[in-house]
Amino acid sequence: MFKTSNKLTNNFFAMVIFTIVLSSCSSMNVTEETLYDRNIQTVQASVAEEATLDYETKAIFTNATILFEFDSFNLSSKSIQTLKGAVVAMKNNSAIKITISGHADERGTREYNLALGQRRAESVKDYFALNGINKSRVSVKSYGEERPLAFGADEVSHAKNRRAEIN
Amino acid sequence: MKKLLLLLLIPNFIYAELVLEITQGSDNPYSLAVIDFNGPQKISKKINSIIKSDMKRTGEFVILDNSQLISVPLNQEEIKYKDFKLLGIDFIVLGSLISESKFNLSVSYDIYDVRKEKKIRTSKVFGIPNKIRQLSHYISDGIYEEITGLQGVASTKLLYVTEERAPDRSLFQLVIADADGANEQILLKSTEPIISPSWSPDSKKVAYVSFETGMAKVFIQDLASGNREIALENSTQISSPSWSPNGKFLSLTLFQDGNAEIYILNLKNKNLTRLTNHYSIDTESSWSPNGSRIMFTSGRAGSPQLYEIDLRKSNSKPRRITFEGNYNAKASYLANGDGAIFVHRSNNRFQIALKYFDENFVRPLTESRLDESPSISPNGNVIIYATTEDELGLLAGVTLSGARFKLPAKQGEVREPSWSGFLR
Repeated sequence: MFKTSNKLTNNFFAMVIFTIVLSSCSSMNVTEETLYDRNIQTVQASVAEEATLDYETKAIFTNATILFEFDSFNLSSKSIQTLKGAVVAMKNNSAIKITISGHADERGTREYNLALGQRRAESVKDYFALNGINKSRVSVKSYGEERPLAFGADEVSHAKNRRAEIN
Repeated sequence: MKKLLLLLLIPNFIYAELVLEITQGSDNPYSLAVIDFNGPQKISKKINSIIKSDMKRTGEFVILDNSQLISVPLNQEEIKYKDFKLLGIDFIVLGSLISESKFNLSVSYDIYDVRKEKKIRTSKVFGIPNKIRQLSHYISDGIYEEITGLQGVASTKLLYVTEERAPDRSLFQLVIADADGANEQILLKSTEPIISPSWSPDSKKVAYVSFETGMAKVFIQDLASGNREIALENSTQISSPSWSPNGKFLSLTLFQDGNAEIYILNLKNKNLTRLTNHYSIDTESSWSPNGSRIMFTSGRAGSPQLYEIDLRKSNSKPRRITFEGNYNAKASYLANGDGAIFVHRSNNRFQIALKYFDENFVRPLTESRLDESPSISPNGNVIIYATTEDELGLLAGVTLSGARFKLPAKQGEVREPSWSGFLR
């Protein structure tokens, strides 16, 4: 999966250097140095196919986006209403396995937001588990702030992006 | 058919080329006269303009060229120091192309101290014709080193991520460029996000997080060969790589038990040692310059704050570093280890801030809405970070002398900068 394909060669200056201080008499520095050349490779990532739900399952979870407050992974009462419906759907379709992906808005650092997205997804998973859905049917992952739904810098956009999605 | 082919080819030509813009210099700069180098005008003009831009970017120099001088010497004998003193010039650089052929382009340059009225340095750089930029950066660093006593960073590299947004799938690229944003080289192209790139201490490899497998994974890529590997084969999400100063370890964040915890990976035998153990988020680890301490972001106090662990003591408890405000994250140590730079929230703005460990307050360094990912130059003098303008990501820099510069992309977004070590 991680094999290098489509290698392109670019010239990259590695700049291995010889700095020879020829003489360092008290008053004047004398130096000589040489530029060196090294290649750099461009790699094309082969992206894994995303597992998508079949059409019917998708329809069941189509509105199952759970929203969160800033720097929080607590489920709101509104989220719980959404999740109640999802739990019923999971119980009625016992073959379905789902992935919950957690997301964050653009504010704050990318890595902290990645961890926060994970906690949001875990909160949703915990809710399913508490309501009798086997943990093996639910996997979680985070995209942090890397996959926004809305691109604005306003609170309306931010609120849309602080979410967990069921896929 | 022709049209289709063209469409397929276009993405290869769209890439974010950075454009340097200097917004502010320091209060008390050195005044430096850079005389046009002797040699073919086209080449010497190019060399001069690159040197000038390098020196200006440090924020520590004001540059004067031929047109601003009273007399223009062609060699040492012709220098009339009085003319330079009148203009308040501290140093003069004179240079010549010493050889120019298809395979060889070399330069010699001398630096003169106006006050002492004497030559203080004579240097040669041997290069090749299609590397005029690098040759010029070497000269800039020689000048900087001679005058300030610090190593220059004009010849170092930046690593960063670009994103070209597209309606269906964005294109993410991991890119290396010269410290002035020129000479971009693409390391990795992907349709999935790339974050947290960082150089190995010897600047021969980079580590980064790629989502190409469907979840966050840390990769290590060798620059010269393009060979890369997943740092740790594991079914969990892994993120936030940071190299130990000796290059033997990588600290990482694993989402192993549903929560972000920091581990240290021995790169040789792949042994994994757990560093943090708390039900809140622990991530964004960073090593102190001597490798004895690790700083990280933790949510254990209810909001993200910085903590430090002493690696020399076993079972040492994390010590809280920041108490100012409710968001302090993504720290890097200063070069001498006596402070850190990080992202600090103040008045609902995320800014780059500095805290010395012996002080109980935070010094804000930037003032925009959303600044993040600070990275320090190897000489410790410049901080590059990601910022946004008109909802577009770009890079910006601030020097300890107070100079500011911007590296906006011509197209798309630029973010997640990481500064290489010295390459000269």
